[in-house]
Amino acid sequence: MTADEYLNEVLASQALGDDSDEVKALQKHRADVEKLIRDNFRDTALTIRYAGSKAKGTMNKEAYDLDIISYVSSGDDTAGETLEDIYENHRKALAKKYYVEPKGSALRLKGGDPGNLGVDFHIDVVPGRFTDETKTDAYLYQSSGDKKRLKTNLDVHLEHVRDSGVIDAIRLAKLWKARNALPIRTFVLELAVIKLLDGMKKKSISTQMEHIWTELRDNSANLSVEDPANPTGNDLSKCLDDNLKSQLAAAAKRTLDQIDSHGWEAVFGKAEKQEKAARVEILRRAAAVATPAKPWLPEA
Amino acid sequence: MTHLWHRDDPALYEKEKAEVEAHFPDLHFVVEGDLVYVRGSFPVLHERDVLDRYSIELQLTRDHPKSLPVVLEVGGRIPRHNDRHINPADGTACVLLPDERWKLWPVGTPLLRFLTGPVHSFFLAQSLVEEGEPWPFGQWAHGVKGVFQYYRELLNTSDLPVITKYLEYITAKKVKGHWPCPCNKGNRLRDCHFRLIIDLREKISRKDALKSLEALKAAGPSVIEMAEAKPPVPIG
Repeated sequence: MTADEYLNEVLASQALGDDSDEVKALQKHRADVEKLIRDNFRDTALTIRYAGSKAKGTMNKEAYDLDIISYVSSGDDTAGETLEDIYENHRKALAKKYYVEPKGSALRLKGGDPGNLGVDFHIDVVPGRFTDETKTDAYLYQSSGDKKRLKTNLDVHLEHVRDSGVIDAIRLAKLWKARNALPIRTFVLELAVIKLLDGMKKKSISTQMEHIWTELRDNSANLSVEDPANPTGNDLSKCLDDNLKSQLAAAAKRTLDQIDSHGWEAVFGKAEKQEKAARVEILRRAAAVATPAKPWLPEA
Repeated sequence: MTHLWHRDDPALYEKEKAEVEAHFPDLHFVVEGDLVYVRGSFPVLHERDVLDRYSIELQLTRDHPKSLPVVLEVGGRIPRHNDRHINPADGTACVLLPDERWKLWPVGTPLLRFLTGPVHSFFLAQSLVEEGEPWPFGQWAHGVKGVFQYYRELLNTSDLPVITKYLEYITAKKVKGHWPCPCNKGNRLRDCHFRLIIDLREKISRKDALKSLEALKAAGPSVIEMAEAKPPVPIG
C-alpha cells in the first residue's frame, strides 16, 4: 500500500457520515439545544446554525465537535444588553439541562445528570450579536484574555476552510493534534495548515503532510496566522506562542522520525472499521489475556 | 526542601520516558511546574491491533514511583460516575485498589508496567462496559466495602475481627512469633500464619494497610452486610 492509499484509508476510517451514531447523537442534541435556547429567549429573533467542523466538512471520528452559533440581531437587547449579558444568559439557559463549561467565546456542553456527569457532548454553543442588519459580521464575548470583544464572520471562516482545497490535510492534522495531545486551538491549526499548504493544493496528501510537518519542525518559530474574518483586529499571536510552537516542532520531528524508521502506519496506526459484534468479540478476546485488574473507588 | 523525583533522579525520568514513549508513541511526557504529566492518546490493544483509544493524562506524583499516579480520562467519554469507577468530584479514575498494588504494579517496577497492566485493563474494561458488557475482571465495591471484599478474598475469611487483627499485624512496627495468630485457632504466630504475615508486610505498603485498617474499624460490622449487597448496574 502506498502512503497516499494508507492516508486515504485513515481518512475513510475517521469519516463521520450523517447516518453515523455520533452524528445522529449530535443532531439530537442540536435539536434539544436549539429548543432550550429558543424557549428561553422567546422574544428574541435568534439565528442558530451549525458552525465548526460539521459545517466545514472536517469532522473526524476520533475528535469531533459541533459548534452552534446563536446570534441575536444588531440592536436587539432582549437576550441581554451587553455581549457579556448575552453570553451569561445563554450560559444560564443551557445550565438548566447541561453542565456548561465556559471556553473562550464558546460554552462547552457536558452531561449534568448523575448518569452522564462530565461526559463531553462535543457541542460548543457560541453566543454573539450581529454587528448590523446584513447579518454577516458578529461580535462575540471573550470570557478570557484582555480583550473582551471579538469581531468575527462565520461565513468567511467557513469559506476559508471549506474552499481551501486542503480539507483532507486539515482532517489529518486534527487527528495528529488529538493523538499527540497538542494544546493548539483547532481553528488556529486549520489556519496554519492552509497557510503552510499555500500553492500545494495539487500535491498528493502524503507530500502535503510531510511538508506541514517539515515546516513545523524546521520553521515553527516563524509561523504566524491571521484571522481571515478580521486580519488586523483579532490578534492570534497568543494562540500560537513560543511554548506551543516548540511543542508543535517536537511533535512534528517525532512524526517524521516515525515515518523514516517505521513507515507511515506508525503515525496513525492501522485504519479499519469494525461492526459492533466483531468489536465486542475482539475486546472480549483482549480481556481474556489481559492483566485481570479490578477497578475500585475510594469513596462511595 | 521539596523533593521532586524527576530532578532528584534524572536518569529514572529519562528511562521511564524512553520506555513509555517507545511502547506508546502517542503518549508524551510533559514537565509543567514541579510535576510530570504523561498525556496523549492511549490505545487499547490486542496483539498489535488498536481496538480503541482514550485521551488520557497521568499525573506522576512528586514521590513517583512510590505513590500511584493520578489517572484521568480527559476526552469526556466516560461518565464521571462511581459505577464507572470515575470520581464524580475530580474525574480521577481508580484503576486499582492500592492494597492490591503489589500484584499489579509492585513498587520498583517501571511506569510502563502500570500502563500495560492496570491502566490498559481499566480502559479495555471501559470499552466493554460501554458496549453493555459486564466488567471483564470484576470490580471491587466502592470505598470500605471494596477494602473488606479484598481482604476477605486475600485472607479467605469473612470474619471482620480476624481481618482487622491481620491488618494490625501487617501495620505493626514489629511482629513477634509468640503473639497469638490472628486466625483465631489458638496457635502462636510462629506456629501458624507467621510466613503469611511477613509476606504481606513486604507486599502491602504500611500506609495503605493503615488506611484500610482505620476504614474497616470505623465502618464496623455493617461493612460485611454492605459488601454482600448486589453490585451496582454499570452506566453505559
